[in-house]
Amino acid sequence: MNKWDYAESIESSSIVNIQKKYGIFIDGKFQSSNSKKSLKTISPSTEEVLSTISLGNKNDINDAVQSAKEGLKIWSKLSGTQRAKYLFKLARLIQERSREFAVLESLDGGKPIKESRDFDLPQVAANFFYFAGWADKLNLSWNTNGMKPYGVVGQIIPWNFPLLMLSWKVAPALATGNVVILKPAESTPLTALLFAELCEEVGLPPGVFNLVTGDGTTGAALVQHPEISKIAFTGSTGVGKYIQKETADRDIGLTLELGGKAANIVFNDAAIDQAVEGVVNGIFFNQGHVCCAGSRLVLQEDIHDQFVSKLEKRMQSLRVGNPLDKNTDIGAINSREQLDKISELVNNGVDEGGSIFQTECELPQNGFWFKPTLFTNAQPSYRIAREEIFGPVLTTLTFRTPEEAIEISNNTEYGLSAGIWTEKGSKILWTADRLQAGVIWANTFNKFDPASPFGGYKESGFGREGGRHGLLSYLKVQS
Amino acid sequence: MNEIKKTYKNYVGGKYVRSESGKTFRIELKNDFYEVPLTSRKDIRDAVVAAKKGFTDWQKLTPYNKTQILYRLSEMLEGNFDTYQQILQDSGLTKAKAKEDIKNSLDSLIWYAGMADKWEQMTGNLNPVAGDFFNISHQESLGVVFTLNSSEHSLNNLLLNMLPALTTGCSVISFNEENSVLALKLAEDINNSDLPPGALNIMSGKFELIIDDVSNHVEITAMALYKKVTTEEKTLIRENASKSLKRVYITPPTKGLEALLPFIETKTVWHPKGR
Repeated sequence: MNKWDYAESIESSSIVNIQKKYGIFIDGKFQSSNSKKSLKTISPSTEEVLSTISLGNKNDINDAVQSAKEGLKIWSKLSGTQRAKYLFKLARLIQERSREFAVLESLDGGKPIKESRDFDLPQVAANFFYFAGWADKLNLSWNTNGMKPYGVVGQIIPWNFPLLMLSWKVAPALATGNVVILKPAESTPLTALLFAELCEEVGLPPGVFNLVTGDGTTGAALVQHPEISKIAFTGSTGVGKYIQKETADRDIGLTLELGGKAANIVFNDAAIDQAVEGVVNGIFFNQGHVCCAGSRLVLQEDIHDQFVSKLEKRMQSLRVGNPLDKNTDIGAINSREQLDKISELVNNGVDEGGSIFQTECELPQNGFWFKPTLFTNAQPSYRIAREEIFGPVLTTLTFRTPEEAIEISNNTEYGLSAGIWTEKGSKILWTADRLQAGVIWANTFNKFDPASPFGGYKESGFGREGGRHGLLSYLKVQS
Repeated sequence: MNEIKKTYKNYVGGKYVRSESGKTFRIELKNDFYEVPLTSRKDIRDAVVAAKKGFTDWQKLTPYNKTQILYRLSEMLEGNFDTYQQILQDSGLTKAKAKEDIKNSLDSLIWYAGMADKWEQMTGNLNPVAGDFFNISHQESLGVVFTLNSSEHSLNNLLLNMLPALTTGCSVISFNEENSVLALKLAEDINNSDLPPGALNIMSGKFELIIDDVSNHVEITAMALYKKVTTEEKTLIRENASKSLKRVYITPPTKGLEALLPFIETKTVWHPKGR
């Protein structure tokens, strides 16, 4: 072991009060679901059952839609400033209870407490603050001939940033005058359920925010409901395509934020040590469960050996373990299903001929874990170089010329994000112009802000979330 | 006595081409017949190849240059005022309506010509992020766009179906049925306007013959439907589009920023500030 030993520093989970069983949130209050069926939500770091949640069905979705229609009647009569006040209040309440949310997020999802506490929760509050301020300035946002809200919006979010994705979806939708039915991910519903309690607490008019928990069948029922005017989805490209197909016979709004296989390009004139840090952050942040993760290291050939050796050394210092330990860098893989998927792809990478490096570390007995992994000697045709792994696995490809770097980076059906590392300004701009990606980080990676639009090119989906551009996802052009 | 006035060709990749199928269909305007190409599935595939090249060449021109080329097109159009007026009158418009429509077309062209070097300023901005970062969102054109043009006999409408995508730097495959004579006549002015070959391709045919190929073609990034289609057709288009997440828009023809928004992608670039 070549790492310093730290004493454990465990964040107490006594701050959270998880109920044994949760209903669904409709008409401004929790109620039991029609389905009478339920799911268990577990902690992926211990496999301990945390709670039982409702498995919402078609009737539940229908109730939520009827509730949303009633909510819309109230919400659409409020002024922008009145809507803003509710969102500002929600932002403040989230700040006040942010530690509770952070612990809950780490328990239910497996992410390190230092990320849920220092990244997810501050970003969640910031999103509500940012979009609150837009609610009464929509007429100043875009010089277009009149735009109006869709009405009843269905939103489906993933398990990698559960509450953050809720805030990316709910804050702009409510600010623009829509009402919402949210379906959180099956494996991470607890922070959304706590958020519903806050909606009750601020006295958000009934029906403005509705929450139906469940699995893929619940999501499908939401997508298929004929009275939904818009669907916003974040998740896999496969499900995104299903949603576009499923809604093909209806003229509804659709925004899809899907998968990625981002290239993180390191030129030989980069500040190497900073680039190593950026590459590590790019792929190992949140266990690599990040749609915009820099999962392809695109490295200039002449610095390959030097860079890989530094990278391996840095990777070895990553601490994998209990998400509630404040020293933990890499927490638990979100689910057994995801762990199996990562393992399958990594085994395939070895079979195809990639050279694998994994850090030496002890993994806990229970729960789902994966060691930080680096592939070198990979070819662009390998599955580990083409498919989204959504785990702590980095695949290295090399190039000789800037033109070749562009070609390798764009050689994917995805186009969500990319990274550029060079100390030469003109090369950054030249490269950024040629990369087919919606978000480009130059000499940094995985930075997010409510004011900064996020979303992809090509099969990474369409529409933007965040910033002035994010408003367009929830306003339709009047014709 | 009806006579065949002229046989038109498609305008693809800067060249006038017959349908590879050799097939045409007949359009009757007043007392004259016109033969226009019945675009085949192979013709569409060829047009996409041309439009891909056209996209590369068109979007790399400076915005200033794009403005000049579109303005040049308005000059060409004005020079052929009488020809367009005749076609429109033959299509059933009164003389006054025909003249008004052409004047509106010139206004639209001039509006869009002057937009080519401004829309990015209206759609992009710095983002005030909380941290020491330079963060800018700017816009890029989507790629190859297929437009299904309106059936209304109007030069202005026809232009408003092509110009939004073209102005943003997309290349356009402009597909016409009822308006084919007018559109293919316009191709002659486009050919004289310095637009790079393949940037704007004009084709005629029956949409139902190519609907499947167009909506399945992965290299067509977006489809804009300016003509009313049936629910079945819309469903088919969007189902096929979902295989490659093709963008499908049903959008009104207007002069306005909202007409351009479907054809752009937002690219956001971050860079740290430091010493």
